[in-house]
Amino acid sequence: MSEHKCNCENPLVPGVVEVIDIKDETPDVKSFFVRSIGGGVPFDVMPGQLGMVSLLPVGEGMYSVSWQEEQEYLHFAIKRVGLMTNELHRIEVGHQLGVRGPYGNGFPVEECKGKDMLFIAGGIGLAPLRSFIKYCFKHRQDYGKIQIIYGSRSYADLCFKDELFEKWPQEKDTEVYITIDNPEEGWDGHVGFVPAYLEEINPAAAGKIAVVCGPPVMIKFVLQSLEKMGYTDEQVISTLEMRMKCGIGKCGRCNVGSQYICLDGPVFNLAQLKQLPPEW
Amino acid sequence: MNDITLKIREIATRLLQNGQVDIFMGWEKGQEEYTTRPFFARRVEDVEKLIFNEYSIHNLSNDLLKYRDGQEKIGIVVKGCDSRGIVRLLQDGQIKRQRLYIVGVACPGMKDPLQAVKDNSGFFPATTSGELARKCNDCIEPNPVIYDELIGDKQTPRVGQERFKLVKDIENMSADQRYEFFEDVFSRCIRCYACRQVCVACNCRTCIFDEMKPQWVGRETSISDNFMYHLVRASHMAGRCIECGECERVCPVNIPLMLINQKLIKDVNKFFGPYEAGMVYIEGAKPPLSSYQENDPDNFL
Amino acid sequence: MPILSKSKIKDVLNQLSQNAELFVPLARGDESGFYSWNSYQEGSDRLMLDALNVLLPPKSIVFPQTERMYSFTGNGTTVEIKETFESPQPRIIFGLRACDAAAIACFDDVFLTMGFVDSFYQARRDNTTIVAHACYQPGANCFCEAMGVDPTEPVNADVIIRDTGDSYIWESKTDKGEKLSAALGALLENKEAKSPQLQPFKQQANYEGVAEKLKGMFEDPMWEELASTCQTCGICTYVCPSCYCFDIQVKSWGDEGYRFRCYDSCMYSEYTLMAGGHNPRSNEQERFRNRFLHKLQFFSERYGKPLCTGCGRCIVACPVGINIVQIINQVKEADTSVRA
Repeated sequence: MSEHKCNCENPLVPGVVEVIDIKDETPDVKSFFVRSIGGGVPFDVMPGQLGMVSLLPVGEGMYSVSWQEEQEYLHFAIKRVGLMTNELHRIEVGHQLGVRGPYGNGFPVEECKGKDMLFIAGGIGLAPLRSFIKYCFKHRQDYGKIQIIYGSRSYADLCFKDELFEKWPQEKDTEVYITIDNPEEGWDGHVGFVPAYLEEINPAAAGKIAVVCGPPVMIKFVLQSLEKMGYTDEQVISTLEMRMKCGIGKCGRCNVGSQYICLDGPVFNLAQLKQLPPEW
Repeated sequence: MNDITLKIREIATRLLQNGQVDIFMGWEKGQEEYTTRPFFARRVEDVEKLIFNEYSIHNLSNDLLKYRDGQEKIGIVVKGCDSRGIVRLLQDGQIKRQRLYIVGVACPGMKDPLQAVKDNSGFFPATTSGELARKCNDCIEPNPVIYDELIGDKQTPRVGQERFKLVKDIENMSADQRYEFFEDVFSRCIRCYACRQVCVACNCRTCIFDEMKPQWVGRETSISDNFMYHLVRASHMAGRCIECGECERVCPVNIPLMLINQKLIKDVNKFFGPYEAGMVYIEGAKPPLSSYQENDPDNFL
Repeated sequence: MPILSKSKIKDVLNQLSQNAELFVPLARGDESGFYSWNSYQEGSDRLMLDALNVLLPPKSIVFPQTERMYSFTGNGTTVEIKETFESPQPRIIFGLRACDAAAIACFDDVFLTMGFVDSFYQARRDNTTIVAHACYQPGANCFCEAMGVDPTEPVNADVIIRDTGDSYIWESKTDKGEKLSAALGALLENKEAKSPQLQPFKQQANYEGVAEKLKGMFEDPMWEELASTCQTCGICTYVCPSCYCFDIQVKSWGDEGYRFRCYDSCMYSEYTLMAGGHNPRSNEQERFRNRFLHKLQFFSERYGKPLCTGCGRCIVACPVGINIVQIINQVKEADTSVRA
């Protein structure tokens, strides 16, 4: 178990931040850029760590931090799925929110140094991976070849389009593969589900770490595919999602076996996942 | 009662053996002589565990809800009040009659295993146990109202002239006294929702109290949220409670829930009656408060 | 040794309640639980120190069923955290049994260790003094010893009292305990007295090796059978002295509001229901299994002891007679070799 640190005195009480920019990513995903009142970030995060965002009179929700830009802002990409996110999608720039964190273990950025990286994401699952992807680009010399396989229901549902289509493919030794579930007019890219596309691309396992995030059903099939392609359990990393309330491993609900996703996760390698009951 | 046990086993064996049912719901003996509890036999070998004794109080009709989306054929033993629970489920369209094989037992009145366990727990001042369960003293129908097979001799109702005595006592209080009374009983509620879970009339797929979008009732154990919980639940019981008394029996803090239900029973009977819920099942019949007509008076809304 | 005569018990309780809110086991109406001594009604309430225990556990004193966390104001787009409610009020729990004291030790593990310290819990816990009541006569549903709890030596106690018939031996264990002893002064006498003998347990649970064995029994068919009659109400979790799972919710009106936490139950389906609709434990059997595995395996893996202290309350209150002792023994005896 790693050491956990919180920047606030009472870990359950949020700090106040203001929204400095909002960007529509897809019809139901928006990016929120937040910084502390008076500037700076409310806390420092490592790729894959989480923050609890609260719209104070409505509710709190745990989201992966999609990127921390130095001491400038934290970036959350949030999909509209429930009451809280519905309200969140209505706010405008200048709105103040509560944020507490950082929570969770984050990606093993150190252990992955020197490896080729294979990122596989579906839908909003790209949001947590993006922090790791951008981290790799920022520390480009520390990582080998980078391959990104990403799929969504439709073109409109693809997140971070400018990065996917413009910026990332231009990065050194980087390949970006994009697929959508069903054919649509104007789309001449790949069509089909992520696990099938992965097997088609068939990236060799040697010297590689695969990082997977997406809907539970996608994760399950991708893990099977990777195993078939010869990836060992230690080479495959995934992030799990459960309902969370406290974020600090106390309130009980996000357990998978004896592990709390908010504290011990959300990042596990496949060897660790196999030790857990299949209840996620 | 041993005869009844043997008869139940005989029926259960027959039904499981010839594939007439997949599950047979009855009761088994617990650790103590008084801890009889629900038991669902799935194989002929399970049948010997089935018993019927003076503690076979648990209303099994509610357990049918667990199987409402399945295809299983179910045998079930019911007493008078339990059988009214079956009528409730049939009227509410929760399960099909053809899936059920109902074994009715004319009920001589039951003792309450929960009360007996509590009496022996050391958690309460010593009380005298061994009497009929409270709910059985208010029984208006000990004989099953719907069944495929009936066991036991016909029983006479135990409730006397004074059926609504407690309700009348409360009605005679001043508004302030009543408020004080209900504030006291509802302030105890720990919101464990056991009253809802054991209630055969609480068969909504998503309960209003679990609804989060919007959240109609807060989760605080405060007097206002507790009142809200009980008032909303009560209003959903009007014309629907079949008086099995399970809610009050299982309540860990002894809230007099049947008092509230009886007030509703009394009023529904007065305003829409004569009516007793779940006494007879007529396919397609619409009991009071379960239908809507354009000319219904609605000036109170 | 210091002795507290039972004839002086009310004087002692009055004295202790001068400087702290004092909680004692009472029977009140049809209920029994820990209540503030200030609310004691002579005649209608009954002090339950001579009883085995009370149905509602003392956990709410260190971890209330509903606890306000902080208040806020919001004016359109701006928000401000107004006040954080970390309770500094001194409290004494008087007469809790070893099972309930051990349950508070489980809370200490959860709330005060493993990375984060829960400030709300810590504030209450630090200001709570425990006068534990050693147990010598196990009740019909007691099995604390099987869960590693010594009924005669309650853990976490600042004072232990031992019933000798007409008086209690008063055994101060900590500085906090010494302070109470000093406050009582002459109400404590100095006499010789002999502790009673522990009587045998009626419930025989065999927990040895069960946590390890459960690792291989996640898919065991016994769970389906055991869960089949469970009503998935929350009684067992709410009367349990060691169940601590909670929810965080908000109440707001106009420009202000507060966030609070309240007990939650793993028996409820919304406990794990995610905003998008996915629910990893949507059916009753999964929730039932998770509750027992949390108690008997997961907690033990994480904190080195089970999350059950053998008080027997769930056995007493379960509407369908689900019995954790039977479950422990069933796991113990299960022949898993034929199933794997």
